[in-house]
Amino acid sequence: MIAIVVTSLVFGIALAIDGMRRSVQSETPAIVALFGADQWVVAKGATGPFTTTRVLGADTEQAVRGASGVRRADAVVLSRTVIDAGSPKDANLVGHRLGGLGSPPISEGRAAKTSGEVVVSPGVSATVGRQLLVGGTPFTVVGKTSEGRYYFGIPTVFMSVPDAQEIVFKGQPLAMGIAVTGTAKPSADTAVLTNDQVVSDLNRPLAGGVQSIVVTAVLLWLIAAGIIGLIVYLSAIERMRDFAVFKATGAPTRIIVGGLMLQAVIVSLVAALLAVGVSKLVGLGLPFPSELGVAGIAQLVVISVVVGVLASLAGVRRALTTDPAVAFGG
Amino acid sequence: MPDIRIRDLTMEYSSGGYAVRPFDHFDLDLSTGDLALLLGASGCGKTTLLSMLASILTPTDGSIHVGDIEVTGLKGADLAEYRRRTVGVVFQAFNLIPSLTAQENVYVGMRNAGVDRKAAKARSAELLAMVGLEERMHHRPGKLSGGQQQRVAIARALALDPPLIVADEPTASLDYMQVDGVIRLLRELAAPGRVVVIATHDERLLPLADRVVELTPRPTNETRPPERVELAAGEVLFRQGAFGDLVYEVDAGRIDIVQEMADGGENQLAVVEPGNYFGELAPMFGLQRSATARASADGPAVVTGYTLRDFRARRGEVLQ
Repeated sequence: MIAIVVTSLVFGIALAIDGMRRSVQSETPAIVALFGADQWVVAKGATGPFTTTRVLGADTEQAVRGASGVRRADAVVLSRTVIDAGSPKDANLVGHRLGGLGSPPISEGRAAKTSGEVVVSPGVSATVGRQLLVGGTPFTVVGKTSEGRYYFGIPTVFMSVPDAQEIVFKGQPLAMGIAVTGTAKPSADTAVLTNDQVVSDLNRPLAGGVQSIVVTAVLLWLIAAGIIGLIVYLSAIERMRDFAVFKATGAPTRIIVGGLMLQAVIVSLVAALLAVGVSKLVGLGLPFPSELGVAGIAQLVVISVVVGVLASLAGVRRALTTDPAVAFGG
Repeated sequence: MPDIRIRDLTMEYSSGGYAVRPFDHFDLDLSTGDLALLLGASGCGKTTLLSMLASILTPTDGSIHVGDIEVTGLKGADLAEYRRRTVGVVFQAFNLIPSLTAQENVYVGMRNAGVDRKAAKARSAELLAMVGLEERMHHRPGKLSGGQQQRVAIARALALDPPLIVADEPTASLDYMQVDGVIRLLRELAAPGRVVVIATHDERLLPLADRVVELTPRPTNETRPPERVELAAGEVLFRQGAFGDLVYEVDAGRIDIVQEMADGGENQLAVVEPGNYFGELAPMFGLQRSATARASADGPAVVTGYTLRDFRARRGEVLQ
C-alpha cells in the first residue's frame, strides 16, 4: 500500500511535468495554425515571423496581395510585451488585421472591431469590458479566446495591426511577416516559409526547456521504477521461503517469475491510476496548463507496465536463485 | 511404483572449508507400502537424504531410483515434473503460504501442475476433509494450530497423489496434544503404491514404522575385547566421515590426525604420541569421525581400540 501511494505521488509529478511538455509542444503548432495561413512571407534572412528582428515595410503587404496565386495576405505584428490588470505580467502581443488572418476564435464576448479593443487568451485576468494596459497603453477587453498561449504558456493579447505597430514600432507601418493563403513567391527582399518552418523556428528557443522537462520526467519514471523495484525486491526476500517451497514442489519457473512481475505491474498500474488524480492536483500549482489527454493516459499505462516489469527484475533474479533446500530449514 | 533403491550414495559438501561427507557409499531399499523412519543425531544427514529423495539436492555420487525413475539424473522439465508428481514433501516448519487459506494452499500446487480450476478446488476440499479440516479450509494458517497446519501441509503433499511422501521432522513443531492425529495420518498414508519416508528424532513414531534406518550408531555401554591394530607407515586407521565405536590409544609409533579440506588438501590437527588417546568423540556422541587417523609417514604404528565403557574404566572415570 505504501508502495502504491509513494509511487503514485512520483508518477503524478512525472505525469504533470510530462503534461507540461505536451502542452508546450502542442501550443506552438496551435498558435501557428490559429492564423489560418498557408505560407508566411518574411524579410530575407529572417528565420520566422515570431522570432525575427528583421521587419517588412507596409508596401510589402500590398505587393504580396497583388501577386498571382495569393488569395489573401495580411500583415502580422508579433512581439513580447507587458500587460497590467492590477499587476504587471509578461504577455505575447499579436497584431492582426481585424477579421483577417490571425483573428482568434471567440469563446466569450466578441471579436475586436476597432482600434483600442483587444481579445485575450487564458492567463489574462482582466474580464470582458474591463481595461487592460498593454505596453503602457490602455485597451478595452472585448472578448476572450480559449487559444493563443505560446512560449511556455505565456498569455497572448490580440489587437489590430495599427495598435500593435503603435506599441512596438511607435506607429511606423512595419510588420514581422505576412500571413498568406494561396501561394506566394519570394522577392529580392523577402522569403516564403511554410507553416512547418514557422513552427520549427518558434520551437527552437523552447528546445532547451523542453529537454529539461523530458529529462526530469524520465528521472521521475526511473525513481518510480526504483521504488517499485525495491518493494518487489524486499517482498521477494521476505518470500524466499515461499519461493523455495514452490521450487521444491516443482512449480514452473514461469509461475514464480510471472507472479512477481504481475505483482510489480499491478502496483505500477494502480499507482498510475492514482497518479492521474495526483497530476491534476500538481497541475494546479504549475504556471501553465499540464495537458494529459488520452495519449497521455495511454502512454502512462504503457510506461507503468514497462516500469513494473523492469522493477521486478531484481526480485525475479532473487527468486530464481533461491535454493529450494531453504524450504527444509526448521 | 515405487520401490526405492539407493545405491552407493555419496554426498560431500564443503562446510567452513572442510569436506563433510554425511553419506559415503550408502545403500537402502524400501518397498511399496513402507513407512520408513530415518533416525539419527542432528547433523547426521536425515534431511539431506530426504532432500536427495525429493531431488532438491544432487548427490556427489551414486544413484537413487524411485520406481523406474533415476532421480539423480533429472534436469529441467523432468526434474520439475518429478517434484510435482512423484514426490510430496511435508516440511518441519509447515511452510504454508500465510496469505492463502488452507484450501488455497492445497489448491495452488495443483493449479501450478496444470489441474483445472474446478477439479483442483474439489480435490483440495476432499483432501482437507480427509485430514479432518473440512471446517477450517477457509482459515489462513495464522488461524490454525500447529497440528492443523501440519495436516494442511500433508494434504498439500498429497494433492497430486504422489507415490512417495517425504516428511522432515513432521512432529517437531507440535505439542503432544497435536502429535497424535499427525502420526495416525502419516501411518495411513503408507499403503500399497506409496512409500512414506520420515526423518525424525521422535521415537514415539517407532512403533508405526515398517522400516527404521539408523543413520548413526547409537552410543552403547557394551564391552568387547580390545582391538590391537598394527599400521604400516602412512596406513589409514579410520577416515573422516566414517562411523566408529572405539577409542584408540597409541602403543607405539605416531598417529597423524588430519582433516580433509573441500579443495582436496589436508589440515594436520595433531600428532598423537604413545600413551595418548584419540577418537573418543564419535563413539561418545554417535557422530561420524571428524578427522582421518593414520600412521605417520616416518614409520609404522601400533594402536589399541577400546569400547567407550572399557576406555573409561581404564582412565578411571565413573560410568553412568
